[in-house]
Amino acid sequence: MLGYYIRLALKSFRRTPGLTALMVGAIAFGIAACIVTLTVHHAMGRNPIWWKNNVLYAVTMDSWTPEHPYDPADPEHSPTMLTYRDATYLYGSDIPKRKALLAFVQGVLAGAPGQTAPLWAMTRATDSGFFHMFDVPFEYGGPWSAAADRGPKPVIVLSRRTNERLFGGRNSVGRTILWNNLRFRIVGVLNHWDPKPRYYDLSGGGTGNFGRPAPAFVPFKWGPMLHLFPNGHVSCWQAPGAKPIETYRQMLGSNCVWITMWVELPTAAQRERFLNFMNAYWAEQRTMGRFQRPRDNRLWKVSQWLKLHHIVSNDSRLLLRVAFAFLAVCLINTIGILLAKFLRGAPLAGVRRALGATRRQIFAQHLIEVTVLAVTGSCLGLALGAAGLAGVRALYAHSYSAYGALAHFDLIGIAWALALAAASTLIAGLYPAWRIGRVSPARYLKSQ
Amino acid sequence: MSLNIRPLLSALKRNPTGALLVALQVAITLAVLVNAAWIVHQRIEKIEQPAGINTRDTFVLVVSGSSNKFDIAAAESEDLSYLRGLAGVAAATVTNGIPLTGNGGDTGLYLHPGERGRLVEAADMSFDQQGLKTLGVSLLAGRNFRPDEIEPYTPGKQAPAAEVIVTQALARTLFPQGSALGKTVYGGTPKTIIGIVSNFMGPQLGTPPYDTVIYPTLPGQYGGYYLLVRTQPGKRDAVLHEAKHHIGAAHRYGVVQYTQTLASAKRQMHSANRNVAILLVIVTALMVAVCCLGIFGLTTFNVGSRTRQIGTHRALGARQRDVVTHFLVEGALVLAGGALLGSILALLIGNWLTAHYALPRLNLAYLLAGILALTGVGELAAWQPARRAALIPPSVATRTV
Repeated sequence: MLGYYIRLALKSFRRTPGLTALMVGAIAFGIAACIVTLTVHHAMGRNPIWWKNNVLYAVTMDSWTPEHPYDPADPEHSPTMLTYRDATYLYGSDIPKRKALLAFVQGVLAGAPGQTAPLWAMTRATDSGFFHMFDVPFEYGGPWSAAADRGPKPVIVLSRRTNERLFGGRNSVGRTILWNNLRFRIVGVLNHWDPKPRYYDLSGGGTGNFGRPAPAFVPFKWGPMLHLFPNGHVSCWQAPGAKPIETYRQMLGSNCVWITMWVELPTAAQRERFLNFMNAYWAEQRTMGRFQRPRDNRLWKVSQWLKLHHIVSNDSRLLLRVAFAFLAVCLINTIGILLAKFLRGAPLAGVRRALGATRRQIFAQHLIEVTVLAVTGSCLGLALGAAGLAGVRALYAHSYSAYGALAHFDLIGIAWALALAAASTLIAGLYPAWRIGRVSPARYLKSQ
Repeated sequence: MSLNIRPLLSALKRNPTGALLVALQVAITLAVLVNAAWIVHQRIEKIEQPAGINTRDTFVLVVSGSSNKFDIAAAESEDLSYLRGLAGVAAATVTNGIPLTGNGGDTGLYLHPGERGRLVEAADMSFDQQGLKTLGVSLLAGRNFRPDEIEPYTPGKQAPAAEVIVTQALARTLFPQGSALGKTVYGGTPKTIIGIVSNFMGPQLGTPPYDTVIYPTLPGQYGGYYLLVRTQPGKRDAVLHEAKHHIGAAHRYGVVQYTQTLASAKRQMHSANRNVAILLVIVTALMVAVCCLGIFGLTTFNVGSRTRQIGTHRALGARQRDVVTHFLVEGALVLAGGALLGSILALLIGNWLTAHYALPRLNLAYLLAGILALTGVGELAAWQPARRAALIPPSVATRTV
């Protein structure tokens, strides 16, 4: 019976090729617009480390001036980074299972065999905990030891890309390289690792929140050791009458925030203990004249952290809504055409009813016609969506915006296309098929 | 034939679904069209804000130390004298940020000593006496920095600037009444405003685009500096290539991090707005097209199912023109219904956008233009099938099938 209905549907399409093309085209364009915007929107809102969402926490404290909030446009929110003083104190706690401080320092890589020009590399200064907490994959070697954090020892981890540029992708673990003119030993080379958004550091530094990870990683303490000013985002305020910051040492003791801190706290008890630890530190410092704003010590889950930084752009939301409005218009259009078309074929349905077809069979026959239409439209929509994503990538090729970088076809896009196709079939087809199923045969037989 | 709406309405009433569906399409399309056009207008306005600087002939060369042995102050003056002697260079300076890119710093300025009172956030740039000329910014009042006021970079020491130059916009933000020239502002140390320059976009870090303060200090604190070079017209790429090559090899402990033309910086700055505008235009145009096809389809269907009635109508004396008018008026009724619903929807969406996205309130002229445009193309879409209806011969009325 199904094969017969499909044959009937194809016959019906051949009778009205223009209308059929119009309906298939409308469904295809509507679905394509939705796929493009949904794919990007979904990629933007993705939590790249969802499996550790209840374990990893970003740490913030409101260390800002009592005169005005950190962000006058959003007075609710404290600085999202820590001062050196607070970060190093909190880092000293042994409550977290793992912990890491994150900043950027400038770095220049030289001395690789056959390297002609020094390679400028904005370097991630962090701790060994970074690699463990964020499940960073290694191609060769591994993270440096906790002892290397404390030293700090001259050890470096290269990204896969950097290793390809400097060592042609060969195993470079154990070799030495010049980092800022100092001899560093390579202990690890990352495998492909490019989480987007760059959830662990949303300060906008380096290549931005959707950029590639740093080309090189060294122990955090090398920054203070070599007096390397932070090269990422730095925000400062000064108490009235305070001397301006001139030296690196003054910067370390200042109110400048520039360090992102993460801790791994697997149990609720640990979280509670760590918060208590922060609160005790806050209270102690407050008696010494710091932290004059209301207490705002917080631990942020990755998902909350992404939301706090408004990672999903308003433009993406806007385009998504417009795309769905477009799909709605396309579907309403299709409903209208189908209805007209089916009702014009009512005499035929009347004859079929008179010859013994049940209402249900008439309904099924027409629903199958709609399904064939919607499936064709969705397949075409999928292809158009892929083309649309390529178009968006081209449009954003030379842009800072994340929109283009995320416009890649993925399983999510295909899943959405299928879901939208099914929904479109139901929305566009149910009512017309139901209407035609209710046609009374007598009326059409009489007029014949 | 007088325009009689009654039979049209009764026809619509007898079979309202098709017309309702088309009216719904018109409503949604109108609501989106109007608001999309309004958003695109805002984006274009942003894109067309003048940068206030010469973006055509200017580029930036970013130099960074590879070790703390890098003598930044010496390298800066070496690079500047090289660049200023280079053929094709109109002006050059060394600075701490790149205009239009967000790459730079900002300063909080206060009107009273002790950093009290109203805080004014401004983007900051620091450069020497050639900076204004390099950017192509003109002095409106006061004077430029003198060479002897320029503080070279000293490692571990950031010289507090006693004199500053501000843009006209910042002058007005700081001192809404009266002139800012000669007044003192506070931020770290007291600073006297010695000059006011025409508005230009600084590095722009969460500050109003034209609020920029300029210090006569040379950068180096973060281990590097930006060379800002303006060339004679048409020489930019050649000079960029030569300078990059020379400076890349000039310093033992310094490397050229990257170069960027201000033209590309400007393009990138606007790309998000431009691309959103393009995507909105594409989707909205498709939406209008689909909507028109809907009207076209509905009219075609009506013509097809009323062939005999039209024939009868013609046989009873209706002219071809009357038949066309009949269908156009029917289309207009549907469009009007859709436009009415769409206007309400458009205003609701507009209000919502104003509340949530800080978009200015929807200009009603846009709504009016949207209604006119959509009704216009809608009527065009109905016109073709209406023409075909007019060609139906009166003899159809007398045929049985």
